[in-house]
Amino acid sequence: MNDPSWAAFLADHAGELLLRTGQHVVLTAVSTGLAIGLGMPMGILAFRVRWIRAPIVGVVGILQTIPSLAMLVLLLALLGKIGTVPAVIALTLYALLPIVRNTLTSMEEVSSEVLEAARGIGMTHWQQLSMVRLPLALPVIIAGIRTAAVVCVGIATLSAFIGAGGLGQFINRGLALNNTRLILLGAIPAALLALLVDFAIGAAGWALDPRKKAKRQSRQDTTIRAAVICLPFVLLVGGLGAYFETRPDVVIGSKNFTEQLILGHMMAQVIEDQTDLKVERRFCLAGTMICHGALVNGEIDLYAEYTGTALKTVLGREGSADPDEVYQLVSQEYARDYDARWLTPFGMNNTYAITVRAKDAKEHGWKTISDLAPFAEELRAGFTAEFAERPDGYPGLRKAYGFEFGNAKDLDPGLMYKAIAGGEVDVIAAFATDGRIAAYNLMPLVDDRKFFPPYYAAPVVRNQILTEYPELREVLLSLGEILDDATMQQLNFAVDHEKRNPAEVVREFLLSRKLIAP
Amino acid sequence: MITLSQVSKSFDGGTTFAVRDLFLEIKDGETLVLLGSSGCGKTTTLKMINRLLEPSSGKIEVDGRDILAQNPIELRRSIGYVFQGIGLFPHMTVGQNIEIVPRLLGWPPRERRARAQDLLGLIGLSPGEYAGRLPEELSGGQQQRVGVARALAADPAYLLMDEPFGALDALTRDTLQQELLSMKKVLGKTIVFVTHDIFEALTLGDRIAVLHEGELQQVGEKEEILRVPATPFVRELFEKPAKQLAAFGGFFDE
Repeated sequence: MNDPSWAAFLADHAGELLLRTGQHVVLTAVSTGLAIGLGMPMGILAFRVRWIRAPIVGVVGILQTIPSLAMLVLLLALLGKIGTVPAVIALTLYALLPIVRNTLTSMEEVSSEVLEAARGIGMTHWQQLSMVRLPLALPVIIAGIRTAAVVCVGIATLSAFIGAGGLGQFINRGLALNNTRLILLGAIPAALLALLVDFAIGAAGWALDPRKKAKRQSRQDTTIRAAVICLPFVLLVGGLGAYFETRPDVVIGSKNFTEQLILGHMMAQVIEDQTDLKVERRFCLAGTMICHGALVNGEIDLYAEYTGTALKTVLGREGSADPDEVYQLVSQEYARDYDARWLTPFGMNNTYAITVRAKDAKEHGWKTISDLAPFAEELRAGFTAEFAERPDGYPGLRKAYGFEFGNAKDLDPGLMYKAIAGGEVDVIAAFATDGRIAAYNLMPLVDDRKFFPPYYAAPVVRNQILTEYPELREVLLSLGEILDDATMQQLNFAVDHEKRNPAEVVREFLLSRKLIAP
Repeated sequence: MITLSQVSKSFDGGTTFAVRDLFLEIKDGETLVLLGSSGCGKTTTLKMINRLLEPSSGKIEVDGRDILAQNPIELRRSIGYVFQGIGLFPHMTVGQNIEIVPRLLGWPPRERRARAQDLLGLIGLSPGEYAGRLPEELSGGQQQRVGVARALAADPAYLLMDEPFGALDALTRDTLQQELLSMKKVLGKTIVFVTHDIFEALTLGDRIAVLHEGELQQVGEKEEILRVPATPFVRELFEKPAKQLAAFGGFFDE
């Protein structure tokens, strides 16, 4: 493992850390703000209208019990949109409970003597609320807001899964690459931010406390209080500043596996090298449909997609074995339906490859998938969960070849290669460009019935960004046809197996091809 | 003038009565004390006068107008009320507490501030020192003085006082009673004063109305009540403290 010092690592990531922290603060602040705007009126309503109390408290409580990831995915499905909007909605819903509950409880707990006085001197209901109950309830409400904001900071780390950015982005990337440093780069600042937010709101609450505020105060005391009240706002402005300072011109997305990260970095690095555009890497989005949704909604401007995946998963069309035909078809459909453009493919075809151990192939004389038919009953297969379900995966394969394996189990993509190398399974559906095929001495079999469609990777770009920054096109075209399957295998292997940093691997590669200046 | 005619109040729909068939007249400028033990209906009567409670039946008039026909908010703002538990707003300063009714009535800030200063002077608290303090920084006696000042702030013709000195120690209570007496002379307010303390009733009341179990036993000037108790309850009520005084007489003489 390449192991630069922590200092170098931090210096390397400082810019992005600022951006992610900014995003995180903005996410938290917007959600907490919305939750205050909704939660306090809800609390007051629940307090004033007795019959509505149980439903409000109940619903808000139930929202809190929905696991955060499930909530995010649910909102994603409901809104058909990734990014900030579903994340903010989810965070707001979580932040409601402490605010509603504290508002309600604190208003109930105002002493009856004080309230009788308020009524007896002739305050209207509204005046009793605004002049007596709310000011007296304020410290408890602020405590609720404090809890809500801290909850938001925590849950906001998960919203990176749906492309909302924030510090969770580092955590996600760290998880995808099995890189502890990246995980810590997200987790430690998130924890510090939670403490800071908690402190800032607590301090503002202290300064706002009506009882303390009214005490005879020196000028110095007043100044301190005013300064302390500003703390949460300073934090927000700082976050916004960081957010806008580093706001990108171009946002590049990627799915959450190694090759996608490599292709993403490749596009990002050539753009950064050859233009002045500021690039944001919104990598590790959870799957094809999320990337596609993000592209269509303009939350990312480009990402690398595979022709076969676009055809089957996005467009829902039947396959074709001819790479050019597929490429033409998806280009046309994307131009027409999604206002997006397919540029020249990178060159490699990351199709599924039914793969066996090289020594077994030699022993039995297997060359094609059809050769497996007589042995299928005795063979144990290991597939990724996605392959096991996709129509262009195992279900289709069985139909196309007319046999099935004696035993097939779902395996994590990372484990699959180890499992076949270790003899726990005999057949896997590998990715053709995976470096581990060569490393583990495996052999892909020829798809003699031409079942798998071609999966040529190419940059898919929103037309709008190409109009806005026409120079992008030229730069991305320079990546056309630069990779073949073997090269891609090497790059993937360097990251997957040698645990090297994808950005570095890409940089070395681009330098060696003279695609970027040293 | 406040008149109550055949006023009854039941909290359980007519099974039992907190106040029953009460006739009472409070003349302008007088202090009427509602006297009775706890649960006799005296606080309930007071609260009905400014519509903190609504009578179950009967009629209450203030200055000849049926209070049920008036806006309760306006009615309450026109009547000063001193609460049993004092009920100062803990988040407001002493000054803000005194200013509250003028503020509700929409007085300009300068005017109501001046009014608060005057009243602080009247209750013997220096405005410079006390206006900015919080209620919790005052002694019990000072808090109740502020409560009285708050009730007087909008210069109401009527003042309702619900056992205002009940929670104070004997010495402070005595001081405040004397202050109220002298203040009364200056201000000329009509006061309805609720207490269970016979000596307080005798000290402050121009007339005393004795209530027992929701019914009016007797109303009249104190000499009259002492001389001719209308019911056995009234006689016993006044005899007991006299006996106690006699029993302790020896100690006091020494």
